[in-house]
Amino acid sequence: MEGAGVGGRWRPPRGRHRLPPEVIARSQRERLLEAAVRVVASKGYGAATIGDLTKEAGVSRTTFYELFDDKEACFLAAYDSAVETLVRRVIGAYEDEREWPERAAAGLAALLETLAGEPALARLSLVDIGNAGPAAQRRYRAAIQRLTPLFEEGRDYAPGGRSLPANTSRMAIGGVTGLIADELLAGRAEGLPGLLSDVLFATLVPYIGPDAAAREVERLTR
Amino acid sequence: MIQIPDSSTLTGGPTAGSETRRQAILEAMVQVVGRKGYKATSVADVIAEADVSRTTFYKHFDDKHECFLAAYDLVVERVVGEVIANCDGEQAWLERVRIGLATIVEMFALDPELARTAIVEVSAAGADARARHWNAISRFTEFLDEGKGLSGAQELPENIGLMAAGAVSGLIFDELLTGRAERLPQLLPDLLVALLVPYIGPSAATEEMRRAAAG
Repeated sequence: MEGAGVGGRWRPPRGRHRLPPEVIARSQRERLLEAAVRVVASKGYGAATIGDLTKEAGVSRTTFYELFDDKEACFLAAYDSAVETLVRRVIGAYEDEREWPERAAAGLAALLETLAGEPALARLSLVDIGNAGPAAQRRYRAAIQRLTPLFEEGRDYAPGGRSLPANTSRMAIGGVTGLIADELLAGRAEGLPGLLSDVLFATLVPYIGPDAAAREVERLTR
Repeated sequence: MIQIPDSSTLTGGPTAGSETRRQAILEAMVQVVGRKGYKATSVADVIAEADVSRTTFYKHFDDKHECFLAAYDLVVERVVGEVIANCDGEQAWLERVRIGLATIVEMFALDPELARTAIVEVSAAGADARARHWNAISRFTEFLDEGKGLSGAQELPENIGLMAAGAVSGLIFDELLTGRAERLPQLLPDLLVALLVPYIGPSAATEEMRRAAAG
């Protein structure tokens, strides 16, 4: 089918065509963003070159420089865009519910689903963060900061929650990311949504203890 | 000093000198990676630190990566060995957990390069290094799983050990990223809570933390 690209992604037909330049540019930009993620995920940020990106995206070097200043700009644009999407989805799902355990369950479900859809970025952030370069590492930490209040609400919800250690949310997040990393390490990104019971338990347990957490998990993930 | 059998010599059997040099290379790898990071570490750095020749290095290892993996295994064996040695004889699971965690924290505080290599740099060394890291954590979680019986909950998740270990290593990772392994002992109360809370809940874990801090 004319216009069909690799893996079903739409590409403009080859040769002369009458598509407006903005449409072409958007498509090229998107291909470069996707390519940046794939290349960095496979080679590491340090070893990735602009040549790698242009080859993977099927664009010329000239086109690359029309759209981005350098490798870092391209990769970070991809990373920022993915993080923004993820944080919005998680917070959106979270805010749709009222009680904290329901909110946590909804937010975590959105998190797992979004990560499952972006396995290369998920791996880069949670397994190989050392390979993603310092700028991406800073952004990863910033994303964690944005999601921390969703865990922190447990402090208000749990009886006696105010007297818990200050970094209780960090414990919950550590438990969650550890479980996700384990799944990604085994190459099972598509299995992430199946982790919901476990990541929900890991989130609730530092605040309400294992008995209550197990009951809530049972209630919310049946 | 841990003796590592040297299976890579071609002469048909390990010699004391060869073992010592292999050991020295592995120790050097841990120290250099802990200081400079995995990516910035070169074979030249390692042989300079170990005071061996390039020929000697390549007699034992194919490349930097293979050497790092062996060094990482050495670190794990050393930590596991110390924990087992210190916990030996303690009856209560809670005591063993507390002492085990304190042992690890102490080792890391005394050897910041070892801490960085074990917790931070391992994730920069590729997927197989990371896999070894998780295998190492699993060894501890197997030991932790004895704690499952302590809570009244009907069905604790199978992955509870991983959660607890993830929570602890996340806290240690954060502290090491700011470059202060020496401060880890101050973090010990929080680490203890993080480790215990999935098994015994926040109030009991916080109580245990207070007991440990006072005792």
